[in-house]
Amino acid sequence: MEEIKKSKSKVIVPLSLVIVGLILGLIISFGSSIGVKHTSDKNYCSSCHTMQPVTNSYKMDVHGGAGKHGIEVKCVYCHLPQDSMANYLTTKVKTGLHDLYAEYFKDTSKIDWQAMREHRESFTYDSACLNCHTNLKDSTESNLKALIAHRKYFSKTTDKTCVGCHQNVGHKDLGLYLPKN
Amino acid sequence: MLKKLLLSMFASSVMLFAANVGDLSSVKTLKIDRDMTKMGKSCVECHAKETPGMVNDWKESRHGHVGISCIDCHQVKKDSPMATQACPGVKGTDVYISLLVTPKTCERCHPSEVKEFQESGHGRAGLQVHAKDGMQKLMNHFEGADNPHTKGSAEATGCMQCHGKVVELGKDNRPTAETWPQAGIGTIYPDGSVGNCASCHTRHKFSIAEARKPAACSSCHLGPDHPDKEIYDNSKHGHIFNAEGNEWKYDSAPDAWEPGDYRAPTCATCHMSGIGDLKTTHNVSRRLKWNLWAPKSNLRDGGLDNAVKVWKEEGKFSKGNPVAGHPDGSVAARAEMEKVCSSCHSTLHTKNFFEMADKHVILYNESYFEPAKKMYDELKAKGLIAQDPWTDEFHKVYYHLWHHQGRRMRQGALMNGPDYAHWHGVFELQQDIRELKKIYEHRMKTGKID
Repeated sequence: MEEIKKSKSKVIVPLSLVIVGLILGLIISFGSSIGVKHTSDKNYCSSCHTMQPVTNSYKMDVHGGAGKHGIEVKCVYCHLPQDSMANYLTTKVKTGLHDLYAEYFKDTSKIDWQAMREHRESFTYDSACLNCHTNLKDSTESNLKALIAHRKYFSKTTDKTCVGCHQNVGHKDLGLYLPKN
Repeated sequence: MLKKLLLSMFASSVMLFAANVGDLSSVKTLKIDRDMTKMGKSCVECHAKETPGMVNDWKESRHGHVGISCIDCHQVKKDSPMATQACPGVKGTDVYISLLVTPKTCERCHPSEVKEFQESGHGRAGLQVHAKDGMQKLMNHFEGADNPHTKGSAEATGCMQCHGKVVELGKDNRPTAETWPQAGIGTIYPDGSVGNCASCHTRHKFSIAEARKPAACSSCHLGPDHPDKEIYDNSKHGHIFNAEGNEWKYDSAPDAWEPGDYRAPTCATCHMSGIGDLKTTHNVSRRLKWNLWAPKSNLRDGGLDNAVKVWKEEGKFSKGNPVAGHPDGSVAARAEMEKVCSSCHSTLHTKNFFEMADKHVILYNESYFEPAKKMYDELKAKGLIAQDPWTDEFHKVYYHLWHHQGRRMRQGALMNGPDYAHWHGVFELQQDIRELKKIYEHRMKTGKID
């Protein structure tokens, strides 16, 4: 009798642990995927007062839904790297924590937005642009302007990034929205 | 019969002439129907009537061939500091244009050219004028005579046409008379970019052939202080160019312009072109061993020029890097220049030439500049140089020694212009140093400036 009990518990305990683990894992992954999704679009990002000017200029842009087809490219599509899930998530956590810290513990009125634009390479990612604009690489003489302007980029003879040339892509007339210093 | 023959000959020569200069009358009715945007086409068609010269240049350009039209370069975003709707064709639309086209626009398609340019001595040409108080004082006080009615004329008509200046905008976002038009190679624009591609590839044809001819360089590199065009003409290279250069081929693709297209080098061949295994470069300082413009010639071991970098990162005017050159230093620079020479000359010819030219630079440094500078410093320490240096005989001779004849002596030697290495160069210097010694000894003896 004792032995049967023992052998039962030998099976039941690990099995229930696995089941509990699976449920917990599902809850956590479901929860974090909701969390990741929830913190990815303009509604979440613009909930900070500081983000208003960039959100407003974004809404006027083709990338922000103002195009012919109303397609809206979420903030994180451009502002997080899209090369790997690990890179995506670690950058998300890092920048998220930085933004939270800055919002609550720093004087955001002192941010020099015009100067920050000069560092746009550090908070946008070519992998993000190329995630959607895949056809640029294969453009031919049927789209001459795309071919000539991007040839040096794809042949890697320049270190220019996407936003090095397309300065306020995603934010139409950004300079008019940001506070002047 | 004779009359008819003469008449037909006259008519055909008129037609030939018209075909050669570009037929402006046909531009006036230009109708474009090609893969350009509606706005792009309307710019070309309207400007063919309003400014036929510009459109004529464009239609002969490679930009015209590949469908890069007015608006592709002149359109700016509404939030650009240079945005205007001054042209009636765009007034009231959501298209904003700028009369100024900056290197930021050119680098969209030509990024390496702009980067190399900005790392060269050409990049600092405008920035350094602002960083050097002496130059500001010369332009405004000594030459401009502090005349309030003519403010900026010395600068606008002279200096900045080569060096470049900060372009300032009026209330309507259009450039002011004091700062534009200019062809200065180091122009500094309201959008923060530096340089002027049109200095060598003039608007609106942007011809590679034009930039490869010595005329592109000689609107600045001439005259008493750096007669590079004259030195070139005095050299055997210039001799051949002047005899037969009009028959050469100038429009080969970049990196593919090689001996055979030409029989002697032009400025561009040695300083920029891809020749043999060498890669083409827009860094004109890259193949230079010495800085021959400086009071004392130093080896160019300072890496790339940094004036544009400082301007972009810190927003400051700087004198740049006087010993800028090849990123790997002066030995690598000379090796590259020797590669250029070896396309036509034997190794011995090249080595022997540079050995003696280098010695002429050292002769200048050791036997003329250094003794002159020593005397100048001693006099200055004793208060024996006049407050206004341009009234001081010693200062004037000293200035001419390094800035005029000294540069001619060195540049004449390294570009094989014997008349400049000698008669306009070292001959003048041996006179100058005697003159300086005489003034120095007199002042030291009497203790005053006569």
